[in-house]
Amino acid sequence: MRTLKITIYLLLLAVYAFFCYLMAAITMQYIPINTDVAFLRIKQEYVTMIHYSISFFIHVFTSIFVLIAGFTQFSKTIRQKYYWIHQSSGWLYVVATLLFAAPSGLIIGIYANGGFWSRIGFCLLAVLWFIFTLVAMWRLKQKNIIAHQQWMLRSFALAMSAITLRAWKYVIVALFHPPPMDVYRVVAWLGWVLNLVIVEVYIYRKWKG
Amino acid sequence: MKKLFIYTFLLGILAACGETETAQQQETLQQTEQIQQPQQQTVEIPENQQGMYGYYVGMFEAEEFKKNKKPSYSNKINIAIDKIEDGKIEGHSVIAGNSRPFSGTITDKGNNVYAVEAKEPGDDKYDGTFSFIVDATNKSLQGTWVANDKKLAVTKRKYNLPKKVFMYKKDLELEESVVQDIFYDSYDDEQGTFEIPTEQAILINASNTELKPEDIENLYKGDMEIIRNAIYARHGYTFKYRRMRYIFDKISWYIPVHTEVKDMLTDLEKKNIDLLKRYEKHSEAYYDAYGR
Repeated sequence: MRTLKITIYLLLLAVYAFFCYLMAAITMQYIPINTDVAFLRIKQEYVTMIHYSISFFIHVFTSIFVLIAGFTQFSKTIRQKYYWIHQSSGWLYVVATLLFAAPSGLIIGIYANGGFWSRIGFCLLAVLWFIFTLVAMWRLKQKNIIAHQQWMLRSFALAMSAITLRAWKYVIVALFHPPPMDVYRVVAWLGWVLNLVIVEVYIYRKWKG
Repeated sequence: MKKLFIYTFLLGILAACGETETAQQQETLQQTEQIQQPQQQTVEIPENQQGMYGYYVGMFEAEEFKKNKKPSYSNKINIAIDKIEDGKIEGHSVIAGNSRPFSGTITDKGNNVYAVEAKEPGDDKYDGTFSFIVDATNKSLQGTWVANDKKLAVTKRKYNLPKKVFMYKKDLELEESVVQDIFYDSYDDEQGTFEIPTEQAILINASNTELKPEDIENLYKGDMEIIRNAIYARHGYTFKYRRMRYIFDKISWYIPVHTEVKDMLTDLEKKNIDLLKRYEKHSEAYYDAYGR
């Protein structure tokens, strides 16, 4: 049974590593810094706004650090035997999220593709992600480890939306070929709400409410 | 008195001689006409011949072809008659991205009908010989064309073309025929689907409306491509490649006239083209990729 658990864990880690690689590849498109490349090619009416450009590049270059936590924070072995790894990786995640990735995400979310409801979706995501992460650290300060764990799970579920949003987009386009912005409007919500639902179910079942 | 009578009489004879000569000349002319009728029109260009100058537009249909060479069965052609003089005709044809001159002979067949035999220069692999009848009353021409190179995919074509006037109009709209067929050669092996234009392609006019990102960001790449190429079509651009050509050939007002229309585009059109190209390229790279 234990071998099975380890195998599944390693398999998930491999899948996660693959998606992290894809995210790193997306990040590389913006090196060297260029306001008319990749995603920005269809945001030209916004790149002249300095707060947009700065937020965009902060978001692109710091979000990749947020993903590192996924390799370290779910391992009991690391928590018990190499606590310093859990701590440093944890701080990296919190600083990257609270100071850089979430606030910048909120700003660029205001100008998201897909119209009003798409923008609400991304801005809500940014705000909740910020709040969940902050509460998780507050609970840690209160030495409420279980609450710290639960709120970090919620926080990370939202962080995962970077990967799940793009995965959904790929699948929806491959299956249904809808018009591009229609897809965007769907994944602006599907990308994170489903993650949160799944993690709430997990939390409920693990800690029985 | 006697002298006056003689002089008048002599004058009279001279006049009569003169008349006879003219009559003789006329007779000779008529005889010449009758002999030369099958070959040359020797009288100066009458008005109705100048009325034949212009564009004759319609489908250039394949009559003799080799299926295994992927022939293009039907392309829109513009056979233009530019000059007629002394039984010689000069013109040019515009089709499938090319404009080629032709020259040859034109013969009056009577009843306002003329027969033309004209050759293209011969230094292009697709050159050939035109053989057609111009009906100046009905304002149309019809006939055949034979290729010089017998190894081509299509070696003989036929056509029946009404005379048409070309005029650029920014308000010309596309027609339902655009959405009634798939894009040429668009089968995607991976997906198992064809690419088809949607209604959106014919709803937006990029020649008379300033386009903004929200107007086109939700369009499929194919629709944007059609909207952009419609600009060129309105200017009479002749499409070199089948994908766009097969779509615009079906449009009733479309006439291939120019092989290059870059310098004729309006500022509005140029702006729209830049915006459309940007979104088309983006769609090409990112629509079905993992990413935003």
